Amino acid sequence: MSKEQISVGAALIIFVFLATPFSVAQTYSRTIKFIDANFAVGDAEGSMALSFNVDKGLGKKKKIVVGVGGRLTSYLGKNQYYETAPARLTSGSTGPQVIFKENIAANIDTFLIKTAQVNSLNVLITLGYNFSEKLMVRFNIDAIGLSFGKNTKGNYINGSRGAIEAASPTTWNALLVSDNDRGSLNSEFFGRYLFNKKWAVKAGIQFHFTEYTTDTQVQQFPEANDRFRNKSLMFTAGLSYKL
Amino acid sequence: MKTLCSLLLILAIFSCSGEEDNTPSAPINDSFDPAEVMATLLREGELIGVGHTVNGTVKVYDDAGTTVVVLDPFSSQNGPDLKVYLSKDANATQYISLGALKSTMGKQSYVLTEMPDLAEYKFVLVWCQEFSVLFGKAELQ
Repeated sequence: MSKEQISVGAALIIFVFLATPFSVAQTYSRTIKFIDANFAVGDAEGSMALSFNVDKGLGKKKKIVVGVGGRLTSYLGKNQYYETAPARLTSGSTGPQVIFKENIAANIDTFLIKTAQVNSLNVLITLGYNFSEKLMVRFNIDAIGLSFGKNTKGNYINGSRGAIEAASPTTWNALLVSDNDRGSLNSEFFGRYLFNKKWAVKAGIQFHFTEYTTDTQVQQFPEANDRFRNKSLMFTAGLSYKL
Repeated sequence: MKTLCSLLLILAIFSCSGEEDNTPSAPINDSFDPAEVMATLLREGELIGVGHTVNGTVKVYDDAGTTVVVLDPFSSQNGPDLKVYLSKDANATQYISLGALKSTMGKQSYVLTEMPDLAEYKFVLVWCQEFSVLFGKAELQ
């Protein structure tokens, strides 16, 4: 989980606790299931995602929800800059304390990919709040899964030195802490509005990591590395179907 | 999967990509004079375009321990993020970047503080870094 994702999650938790005393006394269904289809656009990049979500209402009023689900995300980027991924290089350590550490610029190299295309299938977790039966906000994040996609060539750039090298999406994805994350993980913060009993629209922001592993360990300083990560902040919108 | 890729490609193309910077096109005339500084000619080659219009001559000099790559005469089709690479092959498999192309027209020189092995680095490339496209190449003899 990145520093930015933690900030969004923390903001949502604070918002939920602030909003609770002012909300109308009403109880909601204990379990809500949605299928979501949405797209996201950013700077020369975009994604499409299809997800299944099971949200459980907590407490007496069921306004606060937690949930799990599954998500297939397909990402495409044009001329995207990937950077050295492992926390041991970006932050100089691998524990949870990397959240509070500044990046070590000298250790971070670039891998420029002309056409990045990463598909990932992940289990997601959700935190949310129901304002009413029709209006709700959610924060979700991929937790574990796998990625696949074509092997492609990229330009490894280390100062004035460089090399063209082949790379593939990192196969295994895992949500850990900050740069300890591995693979490709999607997360969303969005609002959802049910415009009839079954259908809803959703809109928000998507924070999406994608990761490539080069065929050889192209980075050699300060130690060998083959993993490079791109972080994308995109606008997302889509449709939800309530099951 | 092809349909999905096409949809994503359209999405990416029409997303809010930034404006691309082009290389300066005003003619330049670099002041480097090998006779004046008594630089030694190490290698030279003719630039040829690869899918693009690039013409000129590349000369590599040893100027008191520094390597100077001179493009003179030189002209190139314009493009975004054009760089000059000294490369081991024409595919930039392993290269040293000499920096951004100074202009698409006129004599220009690039100084390297190191002395690369020119038996290994046998090509000078005009390379669009952002789009990973080769514009022109010269094999050094």
